[in-house]
Amino acid sequence: MNVVFAVKQYISKMIEDSGPGMKVLLMDKETTGIVSMVYTQSEILQKEVYLFERIDSQNREIMKHLKAICFLRPTKENVDYLIQELRRPKYSIYFIYFSNVISKSDVKSLAEADEQEVVAEVQEFYGDYIAVNPHLFSLNILGCCQGRNWDPVQLSRTTQGLTALLLSLKKCPMICYQLSSEAAKRLAECVKQVITKEYELFEFRRTEVPPLLLILDRCDDAITPLLNQWTYQAMVHELLGINNNRIDLSRVPGISKDLREVVLSAENDEFYANNMYLNFAEIGSNIKNLMEDFQKKKPKEQQKLESIADMKNVKRLLQNPRVTEFDAARLVMLYALHYERHSSNSLPGLMMDLRNKGVSEKYRKLVSAVIEYGGKRVRGSDLFSPKDAVAITKQFLKGLKGVENVYTQHQPFLHETLDHLIKGKLKENLYPYLGPSTLRDRPQDIIVFIIGGATYEEALTVYNLNRTTPGVRIVLGGTTVHNTKSFLEEVLASGLHSRSKESSQVTSRSASRR
Amino acid sequence: MASLDDPGEVREGFLCPLCLKDLQSFYQLQSHYEEEHSGEDRDVKGQIKSLVQKARKAKNRLLKREGDDRAESGTQGYESFSYGGVDPYMWEPQELGAMRSHLSDFKKHRAARIDHYVVEVNKLIIRLEKLTAFDRTNTESAKIRAIEKSVVPWVNDQDVPFCPDCGNKFSIRNRRHHCRLCGSIMCKKCMELISLPLANKLTSASKDSLSAHTSPSQSPNSVHGSRRGSISSVSSVSSVLDEKDDDRIRCCTHCKDTLLKREQQIDEKERTPDIVRLYEKLRLCMEKVDQKAPEYIKMAASLNAGETTYSLEHAGDLRVEVQKVYELIDALSKKILTLDMKQDPPPHPNTLRLQRMIRYSATLFVQEKLLGLMSLPTKEQFEELKQKRKQEMEQKRILERQAALESQRRLEERRSDLASRATNGEAKAAGRTDEVRTLQENLRQLQDEYDQQQTEKAIALSRRQAEEEDLQREQLQVLREREREREQGQAASLHTRTRSLDFREIRPFQLEPSREPRTHLAHALDLGSSPARSGTATKTSPPSSAPEPFRGWSGPPALGQEFLPQSTASPRSEAPSLNPFDEEEDLASPSAEDTANPPAPEPSLGPPACVLREYNPFEEEDEEDAVAGNPFTKPDGPAPNPFEEEDEHPPRTPASPPVPGNPFEEAPCTNPFEEESDGGQEGAEPIEEELLLQQIDNIKAYIFDAKQCGRLDEVEFKVPARLGWRNWLFGAVHLGAFPVTAE
Repeated sequence: MNVVFAVKQYISKMIEDSGPGMKVLLMDKETTGIVSMVYTQSEILQKEVYLFERIDSQNREIMKHLKAICFLRPTKENVDYLIQELRRPKYSIYFIYFSNVISKSDVKSLAEADEQEVVAEVQEFYGDYIAVNPHLFSLNILGCCQGRNWDPVQLSRTTQGLTALLLSLKKCPMICYQLSSEAAKRLAECVKQVITKEYELFEFRRTEVPPLLLILDRCDDAITPLLNQWTYQAMVHELLGINNNRIDLSRVPGISKDLREVVLSAENDEFYANNMYLNFAEIGSNIKNLMEDFQKKKPKEQQKLESIADMKNVKRLLQNPRVTEFDAARLVMLYALHYERHSSNSLPGLMMDLRNKGVSEKYRKLVSAVIEYGGKRVRGSDLFSPKDAVAITKQFLKGLKGVENVYTQHQPFLHETLDHLIKGKLKENLYPYLGPSTLRDRPQDIIVFIIGGATYEEALTVYNLNRTTPGVRIVLGGTTVHNTKSFLEEVLASGLHSRSKESSQVTSRSASRR
Repeated sequence: MASLDDPGEVREGFLCPLCLKDLQSFYQLQSHYEEEHSGEDRDVKGQIKSLVQKARKAKNRLLKREGDDRAESGTQGYESFSYGGVDPYMWEPQELGAMRSHLSDFKKHRAARIDHYVVEVNKLIIRLEKLTAFDRTNTESAKIRAIEKSVVPWVNDQDVPFCPDCGNKFSIRNRRHHCRLCGSIMCKKCMELISLPLANKLTSASKDSLSAHTSPSQSPNSVHGSRRGSISSVSSVSSVLDEKDDDRIRCCTHCKDTLLKREQQIDEKERTPDIVRLYEKLRLCMEKVDQKAPEYIKMAASLNAGETTYSLEHAGDLRVEVQKVYELIDALSKKILTLDMKQDPPPHPNTLRLQRMIRYSATLFVQEKLLGLMSLPTKEQFEELKQKRKQEMEQKRILERQAALESQRRLEERRSDLASRATNGEAKAAGRTDEVRTLQENLRQLQDEYDQQQTEKAIALSRRQAEEEDLQREQLQVLREREREREQGQAASLHTRTRSLDFREIRPFQLEPSREPRTHLAHALDLGSSPARSGTATKTSPPSSAPEPFRGWSGPPALGQEFLPQSTASPRSEAPSLNPFDEEEDLASPSAEDTANPPAPEPSLGPPACVLREYNPFEEEDEEDAVAGNPFTKPDGPAPNPFEEEDEHPPRTPASPPVPGNPFEEAPCTNPFEEESDGGQEGAEPIEEELLLQQIDNIKAYIFDAKQCGRLDEVEFKVPARLGWRNWLFGAVHLGAFPVTAE
């Protein structure tokens, strides 16, 4: 169930199978990210892989003394590039691995291009996702939906990613999805379809209790990505942004050259490994010394925000000139999501405040977009816990007053969902199974996938659940891993708010290009 | 606080030994203990702590295998402690994910294609050969043309009105040209030329490389010979240049392409770049290091330890050798780095990058390996080391011998303990006869020897006892007759008699208490069945029981405490250092005298008899022992059950002069933790831990089985208080909710 290990094993196998000698690793854009998440350069150097090339790079020299290991996604472009490559081979011998299912016709056209007989291997190795942590994977898709429905391209990519994950872990799961989300149902069906179609691939040793794939939609919990997350990993992501375990510090003024891009990897960074799930407050001074540069960058106001979650203070806070417009908008979003149906909802007033404060229209539109995205109408289950609203509100509002550690107040909704799932209390009318059979026993291996992106806070939740629940292993995945900013982009990209449609399209395009 | 006054109440749970508070979980108990009782007896605490640590250590080891048997205790506030699950980083290694090969499919398609390609190439080369087979320069053009036409039929001019490549119309000015290799037509612009040297190179190469074709697929290879073999090359390339294409052969782009590709293949085959040769050498060196370095390290370590397995000179040589290889690696990688650097034009950036990377990885390699290369001692140092080692060895040998003896003894004791425990528990609960049988077997073996000794002793004893008995009976008779009128004294003895099963039977043992402790116990157990009654009775009997200490002892524990001051000091002087509770009890006893309320931490004292009799499977056996019902023990054999040994361990056992093979001395060792407390026996520790783990496994397996069968009631062991609460603690860790039973 360790996703990092699963991908790493694939890569190791490729390298081993190519035998001794100097090697070059030929990848595409996505597989470069996939490989770099699990292997470091020095590690891979020891296996005689000295060069890393992109299949689409034109400036490649003929080096017949190198063996080429190609790890590519089975896209049309990649197949075309490969055909060209094989017609005029630059390397002595080619070991070709596709990260997903490749069609027979593609194999045929590749074979016909290999007139010089340089290909020694053609395989499918299903490392088609970004393994972030042992229990966390991502597909690096930003803006997966248009409105409530899938962007067809992203749906097929997500399906591929999920099926590859299942294959790499050798799991043929039962599928369970969030009923309130059309996208979740669609994805569940697509995954099922692939499993049915490639039934030969999915023939694994049966376990007593079948694994479970639970597909959720981000819109069921829009709160979590809006809140600051207080673990090291989440903080770094929130403030600096982690992309494929890399932090881009190049925008930090006066940063030394070798710190431009910092790699955060638990495999190699002991501090990171030890602290990534620790509460930020606990890490305290350690981090200060080690991550001096990002301390500088951290806006003070942001820190304050969560400690003042008391919604009654929202108004006052909004008037505080030190609160950035981004945070102010965020605050109102939280308020709006929470009091969406409340009778004395003063959202219009708050919106007015925002305007008075001079918050740009872009952010103000986002507020309604967020509500559209994750509002009550959409939510299948009640995010702010059911039944006694008063008690819940109290709990929520009391929040940070008089609690020692204000940073860990929020418990992602995912925790409750998984908790119920493990205890067999997950309501089948909210989370139905695809197909006739249902899971009767206590689930053992669970794969949760969140359409619209997971967060590091949820990763922490899953991590803790793994540690505290005997006999249960949970892997979390998402179309991406969000911080607040990227989440808002996601919301924008879905184009839910009519007025923000124009800008959303721009965002989604730029996002998919990224 | 559980009270003794209410013997019906049995408390279970993670009870604090000092205040009997139920603390729900092991960790809470631990923290409670640290908080509340830290000020109390240092020694006890220290020992408990170390036990806890030890238990935890063992637990950590087991953690991976720990399944669902850890009951969900709902200790939410203690999440950070009670990790029931597994950190994702620790998930057990998984097998390689699924994969699917398309190679056979690929090869099938390729073979079809390659056949076509090879045929084409060979056709072209054969034609080329024919075209160059004659002396072109000295042949008139008409004749050349005739030959050329004979090689390949030319396409009819009328059939091709436009150039197939560029699409231009042919005319007088734009004339048609024929490819000499395939006969097709193209315009002059699209025409290519093959020079004679190139043609020559291609034809001769194919002749040379008849067998050296590197095609990985077999099918095309096999036909190469026949296709290319018949050609003899002629190459008198005299360079008489005239306007005609005498030294060149006209052909189409397609044919030229194919031939150029072929040329490229030929070139690559022949050339081995410098970097490859250097790199191969480099890898060889690295392999050598990988092979030699461990050898050297082994030698150096041995030499540095003063051993004489290897010679110093040899190791020195090897060191020099390895170092030389390192230098070679360094030199080679440097050479690779600077390869072609000064060339003009400079090499492709990728080539440079490759060179840099090779150098970098070589540096990494050297750095990593060189670090592990320790130095050798000088000759003088080596001599010293040798001397030192000799001495050490001698010392060690002595120590080892002692330790071996010690540990062997311990091992045997432990096993008998384990065996009997497991046998008792599992035989009844799970009915797993196989396991039980092996355990029994162990037990029996161990006991055989012991029994033998004991039987001998017992025979001697019983003979003596018989004599004494007779004597006593006579005396008693006399006494009774004399004292019949003295009702007061009689009352006390009557009272005693009601409690004892048969005064006569027991009588002799009173005189030889230490010789037959087992029967004592049986007696005690019987008495224990009516604790309430005896509890009240004790109040009256103690004063008069001084001459008959046994009677007092057979009462409930409180009584025992009262007897402490009276009982002889000898047994206690043996035990205290071994059992931490003894000390405590010593301290406690004066105050506890009249409260008749033995605190839980003293389970090893008296209470077991009454507490356990209904609940503990082990205990039943004790009783059975007494009535000769146990198949494992000889009915009259002296106490082979180790539990009993422990039972008797408490110092308040009436006078027990140390007898060889006396269970008192062995009892402490049955406690797996005991050794830790008396220190200085590290030698035995590994074995001990292993045994512990084994034991835990047994218990776990048993519990698991029991759970599986839904026999939950059996899972809930009542803690045998006489095991000492350390045992219980240990058990509690592994069994999850392991209830303690306290009175």
